[in-house]
Amino acid sequence: MNTYNPITALAVFFALSILAYLLFRPNKGWFWLIKNSSVSNDKIVVEDVLKLLYHNENADKHLNVNDIIRTLKYNDKLILECINRMSHHALISIEGDSVKLTKSGSDYALRIVRAHRLWEKFLAEKTGFKESEWHERAERMEHELSKVEADILSSQLGNPQFDPHGDPIPTNTGKIAKVKGIPVSELSIGTIGRIVHIKDKPEIIYKQILAENIHIGSVIRIMEKTPARIEFHSEGEAFVLAPIMAGNITVSVLEKDVVFEENLARLSILKENETAKIIGISKEIRGDSRRRLLDLGFVKGAEVKLDLLNPLGDPRAFLIKGTSIALRQNQASKILIQKD
Amino acid sequence: MEVKPKSACETCVQFNADGLKKLGVNTSDFDFVVALAGNPNTGKSTVFNAMTGLRQHTGNWPGKTVTRAEGAFEYNKEKFKLVDLPGTYSLLSTSEDEEVARNFILFGKPSVTVIVVDASRLERNLNLVLQILEITNNAVLCLNLMDEAQRNNLEINTRTLAKDLGIPVVPTSARYNRGIPELIQTISELANGKIVCKPHRIKNIPKNIEQALEKLSAEIKEVYPDIPNSRWIALRLLEGDRNIIETLKTGEFV
Amino acid sequence: MNTNKIDHIIALSNDLRWQIGDEFHDNLAEGIYADAAEIVKGAVRKKDEKGTFRIDTKIDKIITSKVWGFPLMFIILAVVLWMTIVGANYPSAMLSGLLLDTIHPALKGFASNIGMPWWLDGFLIDGVYLAVAWVIAVMLPPMAIFFPLFTLLEDFGYLPRVAFNLDHLFKLSGAHGKQALTMSMGFGCNAAGIVATRIIDSPRERLIAIITNNFSLCNGRWPTQILIATIFVGALVPASYSGIMSLAAVIGIAVLGMVFMFLVSWGLSKTVLKGEVSTFNLELPPYRPPRFWKTIYTSIIDRTLIVLWRAIVFAAPAGAVIWLISNIYLGDASIATWLIDSLDGFGFLLGLNGVILVAYIVAIPANEIVIPTILMLTVLVTGISAGEGAGVMFELDSATATGDILRAGGWTLLTAINLMLFSLLHNPCSTTIYTIYKETKSVKWTTVASVLPVILGFVVTFLVAQIWRLLA
Repeated sequence: MNTYNPITALAVFFALSILAYLLFRPNKGWFWLIKNSSVSNDKIVVEDVLKLLYHNENADKHLNVNDIIRTLKYNDKLILECINRMSHHALISIEGDSVKLTKSGSDYALRIVRAHRLWEKFLAEKTGFKESEWHERAERMEHELSKVEADILSSQLGNPQFDPHGDPIPTNTGKIAKVKGIPVSELSIGTIGRIVHIKDKPEIIYKQILAENIHIGSVIRIMEKTPARIEFHSEGEAFVLAPIMAGNITVSVLEKDVVFEENLARLSILKENETAKIIGISKEIRGDSRRRLLDLGFVKGAEVKLDLLNPLGDPRAFLIKGTSIALRQNQASKILIQKD
Repeated sequence: MEVKPKSACETCVQFNADGLKKLGVNTSDFDFVVALAGNPNTGKSTVFNAMTGLRQHTGNWPGKTVTRAEGAFEYNKEKFKLVDLPGTYSLLSTSEDEEVARNFILFGKPSVTVIVVDASRLERNLNLVLQILEITNNAVLCLNLMDEAQRNNLEINTRTLAKDLGIPVVPTSARYNRGIPELIQTISELANGKIVCKPHRIKNIPKNIEQALEKLSAEIKEVYPDIPNSRWIALRLLEGDRNIIETLKTGEFV
Repeated sequence: MNTNKIDHIIALSNDLRWQIGDEFHDNLAEGIYADAAEIVKGAVRKKDEKGTFRIDTKIDKIITSKVWGFPLMFIILAVVLWMTIVGANYPSAMLSGLLLDTIHPALKGFASNIGMPWWLDGFLIDGVYLAVAWVIAVMLPPMAIFFPLFTLLEDFGYLPRVAFNLDHLFKLSGAHGKQALTMSMGFGCNAAGIVATRIIDSPRERLIAIITNNFSLCNGRWPTQILIATIFVGALVPASYSGIMSLAAVIGIAVLGMVFMFLVSWGLSKTVLKGEVSTFNLELPPYRPPRFWKTIYTSIIDRTLIVLWRAIVFAAPAGAVIWLISNIYLGDASIATWLIDSLDGFGFLLGLNGVILVAYIVAIPANEIVIPTILMLTVLVTGISAGEGAGVMFELDSATATGDILRAGGWTLLTAINLMLFSLLHNPCSTTIYTIYKETKSVKWTTVASVLPVILGFVVTFLVAQIWRLLA
């Protein structure tokens, strides 16, 4: 004990704490970096090349080796090695300048796409991760899911057809559903449609769209359109977007007889002694939360009344079908109502 | 289909001669299995305790019974095993409680399912009732907390209700042991086939779902002609219920 | 079985699901409720619009009001805790008089009469019996008071309103309002608090409530806090204020526990539990007058006795271990002495000592036996004459005499404060660990819940000790 002195002890302690923080802090900790870099092997590069080619061929674009090297963020030598190996294994064929997927290459690419989209669907339905995190997590997971695992996951999710962005999920035999729709930027004034797809790339625009609270499945109506901006109403709110954002949102046009509810409000604004009728639950609430709300009686047409305010303002209790149910304001703001 | 007259005769011969014997947790060698289902906070556990003489804790708090509790009673020399299922709002979701309740009613094949509802919140409770009636033919509605409904000036026509639902309806106030003998008698008659139910089937389903259900249910009936709940199985298949898919494959419905 | 046909049905169901689209569940729920509404319309009639739920509304207005909501809650919690702690003193004293002072000597006498070898008599009576008796005497009375009171509040319908009032605070730390209740239940017993988390139906929030329940100071730890606070903290001020001072110290520790509960909840929800599903809804049931005697009976059977039984099952082997390590010798020192010596250095760094750490290791099964074990071990290492021999736990009637022994064992105010902190922040008792495993069915979360508090305890006591010594 003769070497002991409180200052030394504290210094050692803080040194150890800082070391532990550097090693294990979320995402950027050295431990995770080392762990991830050891996984980041050739397989990931190969699969990323396949995916890149697949998406571009779908858009009728053909890439050359330089394009690939420029787009993917791996070191050039590694990519070149992988491309050589891929053409050796007949996953790709190099015709003149452009690199093309062979049949087996495009099957492989579809499998990766399937894993990616299934995982996004899984994250949306069965976990509590935020929407903005889905894509990045799926980017990592797509390389780890085997074909069998993807099939099991798919059947656990009820073999979904679309991922949460509205992109079709290829089936295990490689069938792929068609997304039919028109970008919002090309709709004319007065059109009513349902959002069926939101592009998750480029990420900057995608995050802006998310920040606006625009969601797959919402019904929208175009109100105004100029070269500089597009305004539409959805779920009782007005949205103004630049054409570049609107171009990334696809809607399927609905028939004329669809009633577009105009005087919508949110349950969160209901005041004491007011009653209202429920119109629906925003598509932003998914999975278990959505089902639970439906089970509790927050269904279309139900009468609702504010029952109790809370000393801190949140949550509030609503009287619905004879029972007082407390909801937090962030949930209540996603339930659409029409005041009586 | 008939409704039990409100005999209110807790003292009459019928209930004392052969009598009700509360058997507590002694659930061996039973003749019938009775499932007890219902929304949270409807006094389900109180009904359970009143019938079995057990004293399971009954909190005024939704979602008390999470695991299955079992008890037994004897009536007219027949032994009934009573299984108290977790209280749920619905059977369509993925939570653990709902899975326990759903699977027991479907695969446990209880002779009778008692559905306990809060008489003053009937509409909310019917959500679960209508789902259960899709699964099983032998059910009785236990219209509990009648005392509260009366205090709230609600008048419930049990005859109409029984006719609409197609199952017997017994009003009770389990806290005060009211209606429990009638409930037990109804259970016994159902178990012995003296009452035959013709349960309500959900009508207001959108056309596209209804058509899909019919199509699937017809196919299921071809393979299993004897099951009463092909429509429910079709519904669960559309939900992608893994349990149902597995059971279909192994054929354990029959 | 007609396998082809079945495969066809499953394939068909997949196809149809694709056609129906993702509105399936919404449409179905709406359809069922539409049926329900039709049926109710035909069968239910409201005789009189007035007089519905009026009393409920009135009670709710008071209980959730800005003015009364919070004060009422704290008063009720304080009354419940006060009744538990003060009310338990008398029966506890009676039980320990009976089990420890009457039956224990009687058993010893009986053992020596029939000529039982000293080691068997020590192992069984001084080890196993004594630990079990101690747990019963300390644990049973407060639980038999606390749980029925709590259950009465629950049955009346008050507790959901507490969750409603407090939800916002819990939401800020990523938790569920119902955690207010499981936390309060934890003041009675952490194992019971963890079972109570079943009322939280959102997976993420439930895990948070389970992992942080240990930060509620349980019944097994209140007596330790009170004793140490009386001896060391109360002595800091003139005698007339010492009662208030020690009370303030204990309450301070309990409040510190809540602070840790909020901080850890927040940390968990932002890191390891980020991906768990989170939902919220809270039904506020109508008020129902509880049936007093029945509630008391069932809550004693359901909660108290079950928890007590588990505690006894775990305490018995602990008693045996305590006796064994004090009586088995390696070379010329008992295992206990040997352990204490090797942990003394680490204990010193934490502002504690080897005796305390050994006591906490062997007393993992039950916090109730920590103080008796500490006293026994202190006497063992210091060699002062008190107690009843190696491996025989004891407690003294007077706090002053207890203080004398502890001071002889080298205790200072720092040791006392850090013991109070460590008693708050250490691994849950084994009953609780077992309950966590049963509830989560996950080794991972059980490990997190067990290791996290003890690491926090090490860090906090370490920091307090260093800063104390710097300033002193």
